[in-house]
Amino acid sequence: MTANEALPLGVLASSLIPGLIIFALPEARVGLRTALNLFGAFAKLVLVGVLLAGVAAGEDYGFRHSVLPGLDLVFKADALALLFGALSTLLWLFTTLYAIGYLEGSPHRSRFFGFFSLCVTATMGIAMAGNLFTFFVFYELLTLATFPLVVHRGTPQAMRGGMVYLAYTLGGGAVLLTGIVWLHGLTGSADFAHGGYLAVLGGEHAMQLQMIFLLLIAGVGVKAAIVPLHGWLPQAMVAPAPVSALLHAVAVVKAGAFGVVRVVYEVYGVEFAQSLDLLTPLALAAAVTIVWGSLRALAQEDLKKRLAFSTVSQVSYIILGVALFGPLGTVGGLVHLVHQGVMKITLFFCAGNYAETLGIHKIGELDGAGRRMPLTTVAFTVAALGMMGAPATAGFISKWHLGLGALEAGMDWAVWVLIASSLLNAAYFLPILHRVWFTPRARAWPAERIPARGRLETGWLLLLPTLATAAMILVAGLLAGADWGPLAWAKRITVWEYR
Amino acid sequence: MKPLAWFPLPFLLLAAAAPDFVLDLPALLLGARLGLDGAGRLFLGFSALLWLLAAHYAAGYLREDPARGRFMGLFCLTGLGNLLLPLTLDAASFYLAFAVMTFAAYGLVVHTASHEALRAGRIYLIMALLGEMLLLTALWRLAQTAPSLLVADLAAAARLDPAACALLAAGFGVKTGLPLLHMWLPLAHPVAPTPASAVLSGAIIKAGVLGWLRFLPLGAAALPDLGWTLTGLGLAAAFLGVAIGLAQSAAKTVLAYSSVSQMGLISVGVGVGLAHPELWPALAPAVGVQVVHHGLAKGALFLGVGLPAGRWTLAGLALPALALAGAPLTSGALAKSALKAPLPEYLGLMLAVAAGASTLLMLRLLWLLRARPRAERADARMTLSWAGALIAVAGAPVWLSPLLPELPPPAPWSAAWPVLAGLAVAAALFRYPAPIPGIPPGDVLAWLEPGLTRLWRALLRGVSWPDRLAAGGKADGTPRPGP
Repeated sequence: MTANEALPLGVLASSLIPGLIIFALPEARVGLRTALNLFGAFAKLVLVGVLLAGVAAGEDYGFRHSVLPGLDLVFKADALALLFGALSTLLWLFTTLYAIGYLEGSPHRSRFFGFFSLCVTATMGIAMAGNLFTFFVFYELLTLATFPLVVHRGTPQAMRGGMVYLAYTLGGGAVLLTGIVWLHGLTGSADFAHGGYLAVLGGEHAMQLQMIFLLLIAGVGVKAAIVPLHGWLPQAMVAPAPVSALLHAVAVVKAGAFGVVRVVYEVYGVEFAQSLDLLTPLALAAAVTIVWGSLRALAQEDLKKRLAFSTVSQVSYIILGVALFGPLGTVGGLVHLVHQGVMKITLFFCAGNYAETLGIHKIGELDGAGRRMPLTTVAFTVAALGMMGAPATAGFISKWHLGLGALEAGMDWAVWVLIASSLLNAAYFLPILHRVWFTPRARAWPAERIPARGRLETGWLLLLPTLATAAMILVAGLLAGADWGPLAWAKRITVWEYR
Repeated sequence: MKPLAWFPLPFLLLAAAAPDFVLDLPALLLGARLGLDGAGRLFLGFSALLWLLAAHYAAGYLREDPARGRFMGLFCLTGLGNLLLPLTLDAASFYLAFAVMTFAAYGLVVHTASHEALRAGRIYLIMALLGEMLLLTALWRLAQTAPSLLVADLAAAARLDPAACALLAAGFGVKTGLPLLHMWLPLAHPVAPTPASAVLSGAIIKAGVLGWLRFLPLGAAALPDLGWTLTGLGLAAAFLGVAIGLAQSAAKTVLAYSSVSQMGLISVGVGVGLAHPELWPALAPAVGVQVVHHGLAKGALFLGVGLPAGRWTLAGLALPALALAGAPLTSGALAKSALKAPLPEYLGLMLAVAAGASTLLMLRLLWLLRARPRAERADARMTLSWAGALIAVAGAPVWLSPLLPELPPPAPWSAAWPVLAGLAVAAALFRYPAPIPGIPPGDVLAWLEPGLTRLWRALLRGVSWPDRLAAGGKADGTPRPGP
């Protein structure tokens, strides 16, 4: 086995092995568990860094193992895989830190961190999957690894949310499998390829290919929370904050959106998909999701629920970008894959900080939170402005390219969707910002659990990841023109998909 | 807090002493270009002066306000956006500076948290967001054909895209207070703390004019439809601003409507320039002079209104009031004659009538201030800042006239008669008082707001329908039917 084959496996192992050891650890071994968690997170970061540098220099990384004749397990760390992989790796590190602080002293931590590590292993498997079979294996593993995290608290509400989650995602998995098997019957086993591998089939299978597309997109669309397959996401917000961060930013919905990217670009090929008239319906579905998610967010009084519906809306920006036929739309969609993750994880960290520190769950309880928790509230402000697409944030860079892409593709109506969504984002985020900064506090906090100590408004493990990801939003927005960073990487991938 | 109030000084020095420059920062935003050019220097100079005076005024004005830290922070952020704006020469950084200025200023509008302030803030934010969206759409369109995001390239692309030009005119028109986009202006100015009103009316609404000058293809393409629409809207603003302003009973609201009226004159200049590109070389400096003149005079008026009333305050206020009315030897006379010179005769006459009407409005202002109770002692920083503003207004004709080398010295009579006519009408009204109809600040908003609010509530009810369905059984106490 060469180094180029071993590296992708190392990326998987860096979270799988610590995760398996953690399962076996007794609850009291806090120090060892934390050390294993952080070792895994940093090791993965280093390995992904090596891969990034290698891919930038033109190296190929891949691993192939034949499970059955004609059925290969394929890993491929290409530029697209690393766009998602690097995001997940970086955010996993911050989420791990956050989770250590968040769950301090609570029961069942070995179980939690074990599944947490499995979950990230599955995500990296999805990112590096080199064909639909491998993608499916890890996609299902992700479902199974996240379920125990969603129901971690064990309350009836959590169990109900978990069951809804399981019903949706397993159903989605079955639909996805149907699509994959059908396609396998047509083409045999084939690897993902830039520009897709189905164009050779030509127009004679158009009908079948359209049906298969519908099945594949519906399958991954459950995790990507495309309306009307989004019902599980607001239910799953009963999970602890670090899990919500994981679901919304690092792993689950992102895996769904990433699946759409792979199917459109590397199974069908964007030009072939366009010739089969598949992109406009996909764009319409994304548009409906964007607007409906925003409208539903507007109706929520619970902070995490509003954020959940906001995710429904924002993830479909990625899908809209993918469905806009043209390089600028692709850039916008791909870069939003990263940007949405960083912004949404910041918002969930903040929501967790408010809940853990002051017992705040409802938006109506946030009055004057900016004075008590200024750093968290600054982070929340940056991320919320990012979601609105305000300049200087990552969100603006996404929205700018999506708007350009919409006009470039001749889909002027998509501009209206973006404008409407920006205004709705403003309508559900700005009142929160007004509350935290400008409404004076009239009552005591619902449940103040963590007292302020000097400059530290809450536990430092809760604060540090929040501030780090908020800073990343600004860096991605302000230094978008730099020749490293998400935008440059998304442009690099786009060049390959439109050869 | 003390060093914070000096933040505009570097910008003022830059405008006064730095040579023209261009600085490319490709890694910043989408490839930023900063620089200083003629128009930028003009806007930067008077804005920085105004921000400097207002910042020191604010330090005194809010000396006992417990939330002054938050105010000063947002004040500086707003100023930073406003003062960086003239230095930005690419669309992304321009849009960034514009947005920072716009959204940070929300905190200034709602600072007092009174019911009126919160309403004004809401309206301000909604209209600002609409403006931003119009601009963004225009920029998306222009970027399709422009080779880069440099302002110059986008303006060149705008020559062939009248629709984008209309979007730009409306988007920036929210700031400049074009009729029907002006509603936020008379609401936000009176409720904001006085130093914030001064910069809002003096500097921030001028940012919209800078946007027009930067992005519209002025002097390069003839856009008669848009040009005459803008001219018509400008004239409407000039006259209706005065008419509705006269019906106001709060001094700062009167000043806000005066701003709508004065900005209307700028819209006329820009509108005619769009319709007749050959007139633009003569109109451009006139627009610039009107911008600076109004910025300084309106700034001085607002700062004076915040001081304790008294004989000296009234006497001091007379100077910027006369300047706004366009009395001889003031910057107003200079601006009016510069604006009139290239215009068709009938438009020039209308501008003169508007000047007479402004005289009436300024008298209304002084009349309202006369009756105000004496407030507590003014802070020295406030008085000094105001004195500085008055000196700037008095000196404005001197340092603005080099901008208009070809303008013949204005005939005193042509500037004097509108003022005298205004005085005569005022005297007649004083002798035979006519009942003044009450028009609420924000005028047409009073009709629009209830309907729009109802519409919004209906939308909110509609989108929460699935939640009510889910909670239905619990909410009204009746168990839901079982499966």
